[in-house]
Amino acid sequence: MNSLGRTTGDKIKSFLMFALPGTFVFVCVVIIPFLYGFYLTFTDWNGVAAVKNLVGFDNYKALAQDKDFWNSMGLTLKYVVLSVILVNAFGFLFAYFLSGRIKKGQNVFRAGFFTPNLIGGVVLGFIWQFVFSQLLVKFGKSLGIAFFSKSWLSDPTKAFWALVIVTVWQLSGYMMLIYIAGFTGLSEDVLEAASIDGAYGWSKMRHITLPLMVPSFVICIFLTLSRAFMVYDINLTLTGGEPYGSTRLVAMHVYEKAFTARQYGIGQAEAVFLFFVVAIISGLQVYIGKKQEVEA
Amino acid sequence: MKKNLNRMAALLMTVACVSSLAACGSSTTAETSKAADATTEAASTAAGTEAAAPAEKSELAGQSITLLNSKGEIQTALEELAGTFTEETGINLEVLACGAGEVPYTKVTSMYSSGTAPTMSILDTTDVIALGAEYGLDLTDQDWNQYCDSMTTKIDGKVYSFPFCVEGRGIIYSKKSIEDALGKDFDPASINSLDSFKAICEELRAAGMENPVVLSKEDWSLGAHQLGYIYDTYDGTTAGADKIMAALKDGSQKVEDYDRFNQFMDTMDVILEYNYNKEDPLGAIYDEDPIHLVEGDAAFWPNGNWAWPNLETAGAETSDEYGFIPFVLGNDSSDIANTSMQASPTKQLMVDAKQSTEEQQKAALEFINWLVNSESGQKGLVEKLALIPACSNNTVAPKDPLSRDIVAKMASGNTYSSSFVAPSDHWSVVGAVMQKYVAGQTDRAGAASEIDAYWQSQK
Repeated sequence: MNSLGRTTGDKIKSFLMFALPGTFVFVCVVIIPFLYGFYLTFTDWNGVAAVKNLVGFDNYKALAQDKDFWNSMGLTLKYVVLSVILVNAFGFLFAYFLSGRIKKGQNVFRAGFFTPNLIGGVVLGFIWQFVFSQLLVKFGKSLGIAFFSKSWLSDPTKAFWALVIVTVWQLSGYMMLIYIAGFTGLSEDVLEAASIDGAYGWSKMRHITLPLMVPSFVICIFLTLSRAFMVYDINLTLTGGEPYGSTRLVAMHVYEKAFTARQYGIGQAEAVFLFFVVAIISGLQVYIGKKQEVEA
Repeated sequence: MKKNLNRMAALLMTVACVSSLAACGSSTTAETSKAADATTEAASTAAGTEAAAPAEKSELAGQSITLLNSKGEIQTALEELAGTFTEETGINLEVLACGAGEVPYTKVTSMYSSGTAPTMSILDTTDVIALGAEYGLDLTDQDWNQYCDSMTTKIDGKVYSFPFCVEGRGIIYSKKSIEDALGKDFDPASINSLDSFKAICEELRAAGMENPVVLSKEDWSLGAHQLGYIYDTYDGTTAGADKIMAALKDGSQKVEDYDRFNQFMDTMDVILEYNYNKEDPLGAIYDEDPIHLVEGDAAFWPNGNWAWPNLETAGAETSDEYGFIPFVLGNDSSDIANTSMQASPTKQLMVDAKQSTEEQQKAALEFINWLVNSESGQKGLVEKLALIPACSNNTVAPKDPLSRDIVAKMASGNTYSSSFVAPSDHWSVVGAVMQKYVAGQTDRAGAASEIDAYWQSQK
């Protein structure tokens, strides 16, 4: 029997057969652009000129001094923390109630909560822009509710919360699906054994269910973290960074730096910085999360 | 239950597949038409062809060219016009849209980077200055230059773009709104100072029109169009605007000490006092702003003639009397800012010299000639696209009242042609400052120092 990869030649051959196409594509569309982008951070390119001059670390110095960048980074962190917590809390609750607790209309609810995910962020942003700036305003004015009678999108704080609300509405259904899968995978034996030992309600949830659900949490938090950090579409169409640039999240700032202000090098340096922040935070999260996992 | 989920998943997958196929479909068409180009042996003499006679197919028939449109409001009409052009010349012209909120410069540079540059692009003057010499075809020798020499943008003495249209801005008035409210005739020429503007606002308020001025909150409107008056009215010329911007940049002129800025803020304060959207200035909705004018709830709207399609959608008729009063600054009624409105060529049509074939470039030149010289091109530009032509040989009268008013003012010498060219992020940064001011989040001194800081950062 000639098993795969016995000799070096075989190993190379099987590598070429199975991994090369994938590796090739990965290198072409991820690694090379990434390295090239990294190179661009050391140039003064404006995004279109034929000549690029090397400028050393100037772009990184400019990054450090770009006050707006740090403001939007701070805002993004706030947005990420809030959306990660809320998305997962809602996703988990929906999943909890829709995997056993509520029997009637289970599928309708599941589909209903999931649907927002199928709408693209751009469309979704426009829909909610209409809701926040027109529907709620009309509603608030006719009922005399001051809280709604001005557009949420014209106030920095409310516009920020509008972003969070829409994100939660969009993502929690998706996370719900993953949590439902997690609940379905829970071992009946363990749960039954816990009940026999007298664990009910909160203590059963706290000591049995939650620890067993850690893998789902790890995935969901990872997904929400990276999506929240990189959010652009909702930001663009819902608030457009307005009012007066106060809701400009970091991805949008990077884009504007590179393309509107035409300082491509600085924008690219900020993008690289953002990449490392996201990579480190989500890497840490997965590492710590994995340690919490328990065997049933 | 599981089956249901599966079925749903299958359905979703199908939808996804179909839509991605549809996306592919359009690019396939583009490719086939490209293939068709290759087979059409185009004669290379058509470039200088005068006025393509209607019904006579061009020698470049079968060529496919693209036009990137950055004026969203004319997209549909431009597509129709492209259809007419194709019918008459046999050259396929595809109009590519630049989405709302998408910066034309970004769009065109990304198309260049990906090697899919449009044959022609409609760009802002700033963009042509940035891109023209490197990517644009030299159009200095084109015949149409004789009709619009004063309107072209020259870079080192060369012309890289066709002035696509003239646009003007000021304060739009609705004669009907004013006359209905006041019950007497309104003479727009009577508004030639800040005091006279304030007086009519007060009169309108007394007559029951509580807040007669609609102020849009968009950053491009506040930043580029409104605040831009402080540069444009320096002396009414683009060179003057350059001079004041250079002074702001090198710090020899502070914004807070600049007369035009203070006059502008005085006018802005009057506008804010009578702002229809006063209750929630940043909650204004651009699509609704013209409705207030059309329905007679307001009388003035600081904007330009590009707002006509919005007014028309809101219900205005081309026979209605809309027009411009200048964006008044100060009380000197002989000041250019009070006698004249701003009007200059804004959109420029650049022909790609880098990524298009020679035949495509010739076809593009033919399109410009068609716009300038042919009857259907001239009519299409003015009537279909509702643009004001920059070429003097085009005598078709605009259909909409705003453009008609600009043409009349151009003829009577009541326009100034300054079109300030600021750094590309000016409108967005300064627009945000103006939004803060409009929302009452900063005062005049605060706004001035932020605008100063912006200019200082441009060194």
